[in-house]
Amino acid sequence: MTRIPYRILPLAALALPFPAHATVYMTVEQAQAQMFPHQALTQSFRDLTPDQVSAIRKASGESPLSKKLKAWRAADGGWFIVDEVVGKHEFITYAVSLDAAGVVRDVEILDYREAYGGEVRDPRWRRQFIGKRPGQSLKLGADIKNISGATLSSKHVTDGVRRLLATYATVLAHG
Amino acid sequence: MADTLIRRCRPLLGTFVEIAVPAGFESAIDDGFAAVAHVHARMSFHEEASDLAALRRAPAGTAVAVDPHSITVLRIACDLHARSGGLFDVAVGAELVASGLLPQPPCHADGNWIGTTGDIVIVDDMHAVCARPMLIDLGGIAKGYAVDCAVEALAVAAVPQAVVNAGGDLRVLGDTPETVHLREADGSVIGAIELANGAIASSSSEYAQRRIGQSVASPHLGRNRQPIWADRAVTICADRCVIADAMTKIALADPALAESMLETLGGEIVARPVRERAL
Repeated sequence: MTRIPYRILPLAALALPFPAHATVYMTVEQAQAQMFPHQALTQSFRDLTPDQVSAIRKASGESPLSKKLKAWRAADGGWFIVDEVVGKHEFITYAVSLDAAGVVRDVEILDYREAYGGEVRDPRWRRQFIGKRPGQSLKLGADIKNISGATLSSKHVTDGVRRLLATYATVLAHG
Repeated sequence: MADTLIRRCRPLLGTFVEIAVPAGFESAIDDGFAAVAHVHARMSFHEEASDLAALRRAPAGTAVAVDPHSITVLRIACDLHARSGGLFDVAVGAELVASGLLPQPPCHADGNWIGTTGDIVIVDDMHAVCARPMLIDLGGIAKGYAVDCAVEALAVAAVPQAVVNAGGDLRVLGDTPETVHLREADGSVIGAIELANGAIASSSSEYAQRRIGQSVASPHLGRNRQPIWADRAVTICADRCVIADAMTKIALADPALAESMLETLGGEIVARPVRERAL
């Protein structure tokens, strides 16, 4: 059989609280440049009125987190919107681009912060590794980029996109 | 080094899919996401335009035209079903709908969903038949397959080094090792490994279960198709993420069987973390 090249990294023997996992993927400007290359975007922020908020809630089943709609109008009539959702244990900023007809073109996660609330431990479970070899110690506090095990559902982002489509129909479609 | 990789993330496959490539190869990221989005569209249980919806709408015994990628995944599923003596079964949609883990599809009332993966007949690279009615759910295998497709798309674009991570189903392209932190079923991080040129996937009943009303449902079914409860996460490394992903389901129910299957499939159980017992 093929040997998968992996090796175990021992964790520090001390149990230290893990830092919250925060990842920044793109800035707003990078997302704008990617979704609307070579196009001028005009900032067109709106403050949602109570009536608009209830219309959005009625249409999408989701309430806006913020009354401030962060939208930019593109030269081709499309829209670029930055929004936030709160999951069970995380806070996510994402960007959506709509074409001139209000159809979703792209969704990109800009950043998310996740609090694990767990602790790093160094229990005896490492003995169960097959083919274990000593590795170098792991720098605690280093940014954690890859975590095994799926815990984050993207459902709240999907719900957020549905809410933004209702926001478009309620607020932006009329110019 | 890994710290210099450009990372991007999109909500796909019911999770967050992250693709990381070296600076200068950013344009290939879109190819990777396009490959994942294609798998998502063809193999989603939730979308009526998917191949799974076409398979469940068609009368049993009729050939259904599906995407070649769906055929590839069904072939792997049939192979794992045979190798595991029926333990790995993608025809568990009926049970998962009954337990509330999956929504009722529109055609749900029409069928007596009695088929198993053993009733799937692959006709050719574009057609499959369900000999008996069944609700196929690829939730235990398609994520890993999508990761493999993304890695292939990046390799085609001549990306020398990349990481694709679909909510913990992860594959590293290239010789530069990537550090992966292992999570225990309770969410705590308990260790780390370095991985190069390979895939890793983890599973645990605990982070897959859903509380539904008064009861708790698990998507992992054992040999009797009853929900199984492994209170420990299992982590598997393999050449391909589709194998790592699917084999975690078998390992949760029967670790010894998974181990012997991995001997021939090219992979191994890396970790079965033991939870610290209270003294």
